[in-house]
Amino acid sequence: MDLADYRSVEDFFRRESGHLVAALTRVFGPSNLTLVEDVVQDALMAAMQAWRFEPPRDPKAWLLQTAKNRAIDVLRRERRLVSLPAGLDADVELAGTVASALSPTEETASQLAMMFSICDDGLGQETHVTLILRWLCGLSPHEIAGAFLVATQTIDRRLHRGRARLAELRRLRDVDDADEMRTREPSVHQALYLLFSEGYHGSDPTHPLRPALCTDAIRLAELLLAGRATDHVQAHALAALFCFNAARLPARLDDAGVFLPLSDQDRTRWDRSLIDRGVIHLAQASTGERLGRWHLEAGIACEHAIAPSVKETNWDRIVDHYDQLLLLNPSPVLALNRALAVAELRGLEAGRAALVALANDEKLAGYPFFWAARADIERRAHRPAEARPLYERAVSLSRSRAEREAYQRRLDRLGV
Amino acid sequence: MPKFMYIFRGGAFVTPGLSPTEMQAHLAKWQAWAGALTKQGRSSGGHPLHNGGKTIRGQDRVVTDGPYAESKDLVTGSLVLEAASLDEATELALGCPVFEMGGSLEVRPVAATDDEAAGGPR
Repeated sequence: MDLADYRSVEDFFRRESGHLVAALTRVFGPSNLTLVEDVVQDALMAAMQAWRFEPPRDPKAWLLQTAKNRAIDVLRRERRLVSLPAGLDADVELAGTVASALSPTEETASQLAMMFSICDDGLGQETHVTLILRWLCGLSPHEIAGAFLVATQTIDRRLHRGRARLAELRRLRDVDDADEMRTREPSVHQALYLLFSEGYHGSDPTHPLRPALCTDAIRLAELLLAGRATDHVQAHALAALFCFNAARLPARLDDAGVFLPLSDQDRTRWDRSLIDRGVIHLAQASTGERLGRWHLEAGIACEHAIAPSVKETNWDRIVDHYDQLLLLNPSPVLALNRALAVAELRGLEAGRAALVALANDEKLAGYPFFWAARADIERRAHRPAEARPLYERAVSLSRSRAEREAYQRRLDRLGV
Repeated sequence: MPKFMYIFRGGAFVTPGLSPTEMQAHLAKWQAWAGALTKQGRSSGGHPLHNGGKTIRGQDRVVTDGPYAESKDLVTGSLVLEAASLDEATELALGCPVFEMGGSLEVRPVAATDDEAAGGPR
């Protein structure tokens, strides 16, 4: 998949599903989401049916017209059965309301309204991501279950909770209300961050990378920039972070599907257009006064993305950014990454000391990358006997073939 | 060249719960298969049908909503193509994506009325 062209027609059905669900939920009201899903499913099925011998001149216009007609039919039919938002009682109003909700000018606002309604305090982060994947990215419960490596019933339960919570709202959140937007914004950012991470180092052992999820996260982060009441500075920083990391996806696996460490990645395979896009976002994120988590993480990702080699990377700035990040948000995984940057900046012994200091952390103890990182340092310091058991531990904890073989390969090359 | 009609029944178009990605991937297969027939100059496109409609039956012209067939037997479209023989038309049909989701395809010779094709298909 071409990551740079995230508007590619390849995911046309998925993207339009997200657009239509959001737009029609604004008309039908959040309590009638099931009805909305039926209308969207019908419209997409009709498109698959009708376009199979010859696509229409303007597929999007065709699909919107079909969805509009079905929505009006369903609203007329269900009017007495379900409680619809006020103002949908007269036929003239009904057609006009549906048409304006589906107009191009409302496309961004609808999806923002959906995203901010989903990221509700009453629901957990995992549920936020699940609902975003379902209603904004057009994944089926089965596909979401595959991405998270959980049972489809678990996903169904999250969707059920989400539907119930949304049903309590009379209408979707008002995207022009700054107060409503600002209180939910951190949850939205966090959900998009999780969505991106799932694509970048996902839990699926057979598909360790899921570029489509990264592409969705970029698309939705850039959607925030079209909002009138959203925090554009933070959104630019988040989008920059996603672009820099997504740029490196094409080089993360070798031809055998095994993870490559940064030092072995072919940097000519990094996506220049995404790096450029990240640089533009980061420049626009720098207009604010607050240096937040996304700025610091994007700053680190930027230094990696623009460096010609590991050696010629600005490790000084990277360590500084990690120090600031740890002050904002102490996390063992951040501390691990900081230790690796310290090894590059101040030498292997300094890096080793920083890593060993983390050895008692329970979370890191179960994290194969931690043991591999320690092994790498020993190997580079010419202590293969020390490296061996550490690599073996990394191999035994690995969650995917891509990961396991990467460590096994380094273990095999130790030569002791 | 003799003409044949493909009559498609059931398949993805009557399968509930397909995801947008599955629908788009399935659509792409249809377009590749039907597109190849057009490119070879054998067909000028098919006739996709929506699932609804009316049925009219009997002396009394009783009109009812929708075709009554079970979903696997529901006619979902047709396509007319040129082929040298019924065997060739059948062979060309084997690559049709309708079979992927439990659908079926009927190959029927179009009865010609011009002199050349008189006598039916060979």
